[in-house]
Amino acid sequence: MVQISNNPAYSVLRIKFKKLGDLQYISHLDLVRTMHKIIVRAGLPLWYTEGFNPKPKMVFAAPLSIGAESVCEFMDLRVTERIDPDEAKRRLNENMTSEMQVVDAYYPDVKITELAFLSYEISIKTNGLNEALLEKCRAALDADTIKVVKKTKSGDAEVDIKPLIRSAQIRTSGGEMVIDCTLSADPSSFLNPEYVVKYLKDNVGILSDPIITNEWYSILRTAAFKADMTEFR
Amino acid sequence: MPVPKNLSSVLKSVTKPGRYTGGEFNSIIKNKETVKCRFAFCFPDTYEIGMSNLGVRILYDVLNKDEDVWCERVYAPWTDMRDKMREYSIPLSAIESGDPLGEFDLVGISLQYELCYTTALAMLGLANIPLWSKDRSEDAPIIIGGGPCAYNPEPVADFFDLFNIGEGEEVLLEISHLYIKMKEEGTYSRSAFLREASHIEGVYVPSLYRAEYNSDGTLKEYEPIYFDVPRTVKKRIIADLDKAPYPEKLVMPYTETVHDRIVLEVYRGCIRGCRFCQAGMVYRPIREKSPEVLCKAAKCLYESTGYDEISLISLSISDYSRLPELTDSLLEWTDEKRVSLSLPSLRVDSFSEELMKKVSSVRTAGLTFAPEAGTQRMRDVINKNVTEEDLLRSVRIAFRGGKSNIKLYFMDGLPTETLDDIKGIADLAKLVVNEYFAIPKPERPHGIGVTISVSCFIPKPFTPFQWEKQDSFSLLEQKQAHLRSCITDKRIKYNYHDAKTSFIEAVLARGDRRVAPVIAYMVKNGAMLDAWDEGFDFDKWMDAFEKCGVDPAFYTTRGFATDEVLPWDIIDCGVTKKYLLSEREKAYRGVTTPSCAEHCNGCGANKLGGNNKWCK
Ligand code: SF4
Repeated sequence: MVQISNNPAYSVLRIKFKKLGDLQYISHLDLVRTMHKIIVRAGLPLWYTEGFNPKPKMVFAAPLSIGAESVCEFMDLRVTERIDPDEAKRRLNENMTSEMQVVDAYYPDVKITELAFLSYEISIKTNGLNEALLEKCRAALDADTIKVVKKTKSGDAEVDIKPLIRSAQIRTSGGEMVIDCTLSADPSSFLNPEYVVKYLKDNVGILSDPIITNEWYSILRTAAFKADMTEFR
Repeated sequence: MPVPKNLSSVLKSVTKPGRYTGGEFNSIIKNKETVKCRFAFCFPDTYEIGMSNLGVRILYDVLNKDEDVWCERVYAPWTDMRDKMREYSIPLSAIESGDPLGEFDLVGISLQYELCYTTALAMLGLANIPLWSKDRSEDAPIIIGGGPCAYNPEPVADFFDLFNIGEGEEVLLEISHLYIKMKEEGTYSRSAFLREASHIEGVYVPSLYRAEYNSDGTLKEYEPIYFDVPRTVKKRIIADLDKAPYPEKLVMPYTETVHDRIVLEVYRGCIRGCRFCQAGMVYRPIREKSPEVLCKAAKCLYESTGYDEISLISLSISDYSRLPELTDSLLEWTDEKRVSLSLPSLRVDSFSEELMKKVSSVRTAGLTFAPEAGTQRMRDVINKNVTEEDLLRSVRIAFRGGKSNIKLYFMDGLPTETLDDIKGIADLAKLVVNEYFAIPKPERPHGIGVTISVSCFIPKPFTPFQWEKQDSFSLLEQKQAHLRSCITDKRIKYNYHDAKTSFIEAVLARGDRRVAPVIAYMVKNGAMLDAWDEGFDFDKWMDAFEKCGVDPAFYTTRGFATDEVLPWDIIDCGVTKKYLLSEREKAYRGVTTPSCAEHCNGCGANKLGGNNKWCK
């Protein structure tokens, strides 16, 4: 078993939660502030840093960008006593809305940094969806390089995101095109699924002006994996 | 709220989309099929500002406690979202249900400051609701105005179907109940409802009065058009605040808001009588809450919100007669829970080391005081009963307590003001700096900063200065330049309020019904968010005055005669004109008036009732 904490003052409690619906528009920073209040309301025995301005310590894995939903968000909390995880889950859920609920709480045996890949379900409602369009999208994602313009600190840069896409399949469901993909979640090479949509938008020409044409897309984070593709938990 | 899927790309393209989608913890969702009255509470400013407003918090709670009423919240979109809404014809909707504003029965708009008028009307426009009350069809919502600006509702009177004058806890429920009753009985029509509503104490229905003018442009009279409509509308108050409902829960915003904390309203009204202050007059008589009720509310709110800060608010917190008792019992548990106390409205004459220790929070390195004027003469004129020694004693305590930044609020353009009074502001700031250096080095914080913040005097309705004229721009600019030249110390920073904004505010604060076309013209031409630098455009306002043939100087640099009919004479706020006049005369003589705690000055507010130990 990996030692998660060497400090006897606290234990690390991992919370796996979902963030759906309206909450996709809440930024990561706002989520962090909100979580703190939820934990206070739930009365969990939070551990605070020592010093002049004590703060609780909450660590989140792979922040979700605005406009994406998720059923597998992870947060590590430091608690001063080893409370029953199910009790923690119950108390947290009472203090959240139905769009944000804890699915699992436990004392983990791997570090949160072991999260390496994340799976997404990208649903695209686009006009003129037919076999030919699907093929065009498949071909685009099968290309040897997938070049997108990424915003970086030193301005815009063109990068090849192909190596960051572990797998991507396209299917249809209820009149929508669905891309099931698994992308790198490593902090140094994290790939935001928005880039996959943007690439198709720019190269295949879908989703030109969604409001007027009544088209849309949604992104749902569905599963998390370690580097060896076993489930991260 | 249920966001239509095709709007997601709009939401992703605007700043802070989380402020439009709701879904907050403690927000109230009811079944719209079974409630009998749908009430939209609009705050004509952004979500961040509106979510912090205590009035909205209280009224949202009061209305939703009634099972027949569902009250939802509506805020103004920021400019980027507003532009998208116009581009794609997305109607303004309520946060809880996502339903367009036009589908509601009652729409309440909180008027907190004059510059929100354009935003309020632009919100109606974004919801495709006609701006003018007379243009609204039978099935349009009833538009209700309220809040501090409703004490002179006249500049916006023709846009509102009715106003709630005074405290809204009871009135809004009575209006909702009347609506439900008339709908159920089948007697509802817009005009029948408004006529009936005018009988509720604290309700003003502008369309039931005719305003007549004299040939010189001044008001002649207000004439009710039916015999059963009251001649003047008396403000409503809540008699016993301890018994008034207070929210046990708060809607918890996900995004950051301006006062993201628990707010405890300690009392209403004010025992002081600063002669420029509208709040100090219109919120009379003073009514305190007991420390027991406040502590219970604080504990309950802490548990239901998880906030780590409690702010004790009122017009002047140190005047609360049981403050030590209150802070002591709060401190019994707040420290242990890492909850800090803040007291935003301190007066220098009652500031003490003990008080500072109780509220000392590691987060703030500064303290703010409001001497309002630079010389004792000027402070006597405005009845700000504090002395130079009070201020210096307070800053001494602050410096010794480790505070290094002092902010001082002043006003310029006050009645009888001379350049010597302006210089006095600079002199007072300098004395504060000297006070710092008089403290031995080891006992004072490292470094000092004094900021003087000067706003322009606006003669407000229902104050002893309501008849006064406002200084012209050129005079105000001259005063500002003079003050700048009097400041010689680099440690003193000088901020001043834009005189142009104050000029527009004065027109909107003192105007009558003839100002309405100017506001409508502004809104038609896209005005919104005038309270923000991004929204305010002085030249457009001046252009609108010209286009509508309204002379703004009539309401600003012209003083009002004491025998003139004033636009707000239609409202009775408790304090009598006779009292205001006597205070004005005392101001000219430089004579101060003691606080209500010393003795009752007979202002007239006692006739409104209310539990307190002062009013005779
Ligand atoms: S009636 Fe007297 S005590 Fe009451 S508010 Fe007026 S002046 Fe103050």
